Amino acid sequence: MADAAPHDRRRLVIDSATESCSVALFEDGALIAGECLMLGRGHAEKLVPMIAALPDRGRAATILVNSGPGSFTGIRVGLAAARALALAWNATVRSYHSPDLIAAMARAQHGGPVAVDVVMTGGHGEWFVRPFDADGLALAPLASLSPDAALARLSAPLVAGSQAAACADARPGVTAMPLWPDARQAGLLPATALGDGAAPAYGRAPDARLPGGVLPA
Amino acid sequence: MALILGIESSCDETAVAVIDGSAKTLADRIVAQRIASQDEAHRPYGGVVPEIAARAHADVIAPMVAATLADAGLTLDDMDAIAATAGPGLIGGVMVGLVTGKALAMASGKPLIGINHLEGHALSPRLADPTLAYPYCLLLVSGGHCQILEVIGLGQYRRLATTIDDALGEAFDKTAKVLGLGYPGGPAVERLAREGNPRAVPLPRPLVGSGEPHFSFAGLKSAVLRARDSGQYAPADLAASFQQAAIDCVIDRTRGALAACAPNMTALVVAGGVAANAALRGALEALAGEAGLPLVAPPVKLCTDNAAMIGWAGAERFATGQSDPLDLPARPRWPLDDSAAPVRGAGVKA
Repeated sequence: MADAAPHDRRRLVIDSATESCSVALFEDGALIAGECLMLGRGHAEKLVPMIAALPDRGRAATILVNSGPGSFTGIRVGLAAARALALAWNATVRSYHSPDLIAAMARAQHGGPVAVDVVMTGGHGEWFVRPFDADGLALAPLASLSPDAALARLSAPLVAGSQAAACADARPGVTAMPLWPDARQAGLLPATALGDGAAPAYGRAPDARLPGGVLPA
Repeated sequence: MALILGIESSCDETAVAVIDGSAKTLADRIVAQRIASQDEAHRPYGGVVPEIAARAHADVIAPMVAATLADAGLTLDDMDAIAATAGPGLIGGVMVGLVTGKALAMASGKPLIGINHLEGHALSPRLADPTLAYPYCLLLVSGGHCQILEVIGLGQYRRLATTIDDALGEAFDKTAKVLGLGYPGGPAVERLAREGNPRAVPLPRPLVGSGEPHFSFAGLKSAVLRARDSGQYAPADLAASFQQAAIDCVIDRTRGALAACAPNMTALVVAGGVAANAALRGALEALAGEAGLPLVAPPVKLCTDNAAMIGWAGAERFATGQSDPLDLPARPRWPLDDSAAPVRGAGVKA
């Protein structure tokens, strides 16, 4: 029996949901190439060239994409790229959420099991918040909260994410770990954090009001 | 044979098409096309909500590419290039279509061609009518755009007029809102206008007869609002009188533009969503006759936003060897005539 083509053993990871923009190519679970840029804006220009710079233009049998939350536009850029590549390569798309990867990165950086509150920049001045136990199990659903409400939710000794420093400033005693999702660290994700398909996790409803300023139901 | 995959997502329609650029008839040129309208999603809001539009594009665009290729009996490998709208338009939606196009192009090793949505409209008459040659005088009228251009050649445009406030389609939509006709408003105003008297309501014709070449519809829309609030007029008369006033403005401005065009125009061409308005087409037919030119108007299905026109513009550019890099930016504003002088009040519609 002939050996499988390299891309059959490869997994491409795409993460453009937040201020960072990263890609990674894994083969048999080992990272073989990747790049992570702190862009802020411009993911739609950078992402595809970053993938094209990977070995074999990033071709893989499985595409793993960050489906959010983060910036509405960044989420869509990643999903659009992942779905189009899957169509072109007849690949399978799977997804994960930003807080899961940030929590996994925080545990790895900490060096062992630790409870983590992930606090990330949201929209309209709100923060996305999700707590994880020491084994990486999410303890509550994702919430989009005002900073005060987010701070009131903190319970773990470690806060990770783009608003970690702000949390530590407001809550002395909390250890801050400023982190953004990095596709090269996707190997840290527990299997339970991987979902089939790639449904967007915007974390917030569209900013739209019905005539008369009424919020949609 | 040059097969081009066209992708359009600049406003509230997601569209994908396969175009055969070497075919000689419209029927053969559009190998397959799918259009997903978002009208139902935006109707409760009375207009297009950019974030809702962008989410809807992201939800449907990849399956639509797959389905359109299947309709054509072709695969991505059969395509010669990928053409995607790169602007102008609602930037969230443009990015979805453009990134999809980039990823497809990169993965398949095909060239990417970023298309100006307005160029798609401007060249759509050439898709429909293989005999239409450059140069021609183009009236481009849609919900977001209202301008008259000399189309000198591929990528060569001279703007003769633009709007200083509302686009023509925008004026129709706002009038529909005033009359409680719902969204999208243009076709609803046209339907109601058929039952009314176009001379019943005295409405202004902004800028008609003035030396300024541009359009203005904001005052007309406000006059419709005042006339409605007076309680003197039936809705059908308001719709018919508004439509007639708008058409009078368009004809006056277009007559002036034709006089300012180079003498070698091959046709007066109308494109964009409002080109589907039958009363406007009739008036333009008469004007073209006055000028001794044929009126060329694409079929109604090619007037509203579609991907066939994007694929066709891609085919014209592909034929000249053009392509774009994978870091091509999406552009919310992208005038066809970059050298045109700024016009007071004109923004994205310029």
